[in-house]
Amino acid sequence: MNSKQYRQSRIVVVFLVSILVALASKLDLAILAIAAALTGFVFLLVVRFKHKIVIDEREKTIREKAAQTAQAVFTPTLAIGALLMILFGQNSIYILALGQIFAYLSLFQMLLYAISFHFYNHKYGAAANEE
Amino acid sequence: MELLRMKNKLKVFRALHNLTQEDLAVELGVSRQTINAIESNKYLPSLGLALKISKKFAVQVEDIFLDDDEK
Repeated sequence: MNSKQYRQSRIVVVFLVSILVALASKLDLAILAIAAALTGFVFLLVVRFKHKIVIDEREKTIREKAAQTAQAVFTPTLAIGALLMILFGQNSIYILALGQIFAYLSLFQMLLYAISFHFYNHKYGAAANEE
Repeated sequence: MELLRMKNKLKVFRALHNLTQEDLAVELGVSRQTINAIESNKYLPSLGLALKISKKFAVQVEDIFLDDDEK
């Protein structure tokens, strides 16, 4: 199995697990949802280790850029959404609560970014200025 | 920061050694798409991979990878 086939099988597994989780929530069976998610996760893990899927540097670069773009789009969207919900949702306690959750989520994401930036900055030699 | 524009002769060296993109990819431990992307100047390889490529063809790195501004 090559990297492309692995990606395709991952899509199928995620699709099947999503259907099972949706079905489980409809039937109110938490155990089914947990079992489906765990089975999918273990299956993908086994496939990955057994077939030694190569993730080369180009794919890593693509993943980094995709994550960067997703973060750059998602955080402001979440923050603006939170602001709008808090400003215009004063009449509904649910919208206000959702706005507050979004605000905390965007703060959490920014905090996570700052911590990981600090960590990688040190890992890749920020403290190595002295000769 | 402006990135250096590069071109390369990977396709030429690969042809000289009668290797397919897949063969070279397997030997270098990368995907065929990576070799294709390097050959079509869409992806600039890391220093490690550039050194691996030059070692594979027993030439200097600068024999394969060239600054685009070089005449």
